[in-house]
Amino acid sequence: MSKKLAALVGLLLTAAAPALFASSYLFYVEAQALAGWSSAAKKAIFYSMMPMETMQKPSVGFDYVQKFSGEAGDIATLSVQGRLALNTEGGTSTEAQLYNAFLKLKTGWADVWAGHNRPAMGLSSTLDNHGTLLQPLSMSGFGFDRDWGVGLEHQFADGGAALSLTAGSGMPLKFGGYLLAGRAALGVLSQDNFSAGATLAVGRIYDVMGYDVLSDNPMPIRLAGFDASWVSGAWENSAEVMGGTRDGRGTLAVFWRTGLGLLDESRLKIELQPAVFWKKGEASVQAAAGASFLATSDLTLRTMAAYDGETKDVKLLFQIYYYKGIRF
Amino acid sequence: MKSATAAALIALLAAGPLLAAVGCDLNDPDRDVKRLFPESTGFKTLYVSISRQGGDEMLHRVESRLGDTFKGLYETADVPYTMYQIFKGKDLIGYIHGVNTKGEFGGIQVFLALDLEGRIRGFYFQKMTGPHAGEMRDPAFGKQFLGLSLNDFKDYDPVAGQAKPGSRVAAIKNPAPQAEGDFKAALRGTKKNLILCDEFLMGNKYLK
Repeated sequence: MSKKLAALVGLLLTAAAPALFASSYLFYVEAQALAGWSSAAKKAIFYSMMPMETMQKPSVGFDYVQKFSGEAGDIATLSVQGRLALNTEGGTSTEAQLYNAFLKLKTGWADVWAGHNRPAMGLSSTLDNHGTLLQPLSMSGFGFDRDWGVGLEHQFADGGAALSLTAGSGMPLKFGGYLLAGRAALGVLSQDNFSAGATLAVGRIYDVMGYDVLSDNPMPIRLAGFDASWVSGAWENSAEVMGGTRDGRGTLAVFWRTGLGLLDESRLKIELQPAVFWKKGEASVQAAAGASFLATSDLTLRTMAAYDGETKDVKLLFQIYYYKGIRF
Repeated sequence: MKSATAAALIALLAAGPLLAAVGCDLNDPDRDVKRLFPESTGFKTLYVSISRQGGDEMLHRVESRLGDTFKGLYETADVPYTMYQIFKGKDLIGYIHGVNTKGEFGGIQVFLALDLEGRIRGFYFQKMTGPHAGEMRDPAFGKQFLGLSLNDFKDYDPVAGQAKPGSRVAAIKNPAPQAEGDFKAALRGTKKNLILCDEFLMGNKYLK
């Protein structure tokens, strides 16, 4: 798998070279060091969520965006984002992880994408959590951070709508299931300082954790959700409620994230993220507090203390995250 | 496996000089371009940076034209700027570009839509928070910038926050006197934006 990633990076380097003079691409390298302590494991850990999950681990990666243009403007965007992560549980190994891997075409009325991308589901479809320690509901079983399939997006004057049809298997591509999701939003957060969205999702999805498929057969889900985000001064807030049925049983999640930007240019950000879940007839609480500091425009230091009521685990994590563009 | 990984990393690190991570894109280019240029049929996205185009010499020239030094997270030579060329059919009809600048309550993003002569035909804040953001975002404030060009901002002093008496820039009224810092940041951001557009898109016609 690592050979494949290396070959992919090499291919992208080659492919990007002709774009030098057109300046139609961005290429970033990413590297992160992460370590912490888990009260449940009673030892030092080198992952932010679960050992099998994809986010976050010591890793190196890249982020590549290529615009394709004709005489009258852009016609498509290629996005590829991958990582080589270090697994330290059960022996040391590396895992190649592919996040973005999609081509988005401009069709006039809507943008249409195909590949591995964010499904049109809840706040997770609007947030960039690729390098962060705090994660939205998609990393807790309510949707997928990425999924294989197709989708379309259309922006209105005061909001937007998106629809996706994906495999329902998340990071790996496994056939046999599907996830049809749609989200409509009102307001543009950075422009209106407020945005609200409504989500509907139906499908048969696999139970997955990272690249591991935990169920042999896909399970039926029906979910509806409402989310809102608002900014006021140095405060940022996001809230989401999503509920329905999963494998024939009722499920519900209530999520809130509040953040305060401090110091010059909001270099220091402190966040709190409580969430309550009802799964399989039982309620559990997750609570996290995090801080991030932009040491330079390329280097971010993050820390997080998190409590998981389901596993009774308390984690304390530290991360050094480097993200910088390169030119060829 | 290790050699393949090492090869990929070496290729990455040997690829060339580094660019900073902080840029300024339109949130939703399709929607924003249509709003600022209703007659447009398409746009082309370009990525540029001072380090890539002119290095230290260009940085010093830009700072000299601005009348202030670049500072902070958002103002380094290797920040990638996203510039949009706007088309009607195959004809270029204008440009859109946004810059980050430091406001009283965090970063502000000042976007300008320019015609081919570099005159402002659209001004808006893509990002602005704070108690007076509503007044600053009022379209009436943005209208005061319409028709202005880099010539009008040439004598604006962003350090002192003062425009030449009697100039068109001096006539721009602050809609929220309590947010003087954000007002000055908007004028500085506009001047910086116009200079960068002149440097990257218009062949320094205003420098000549």
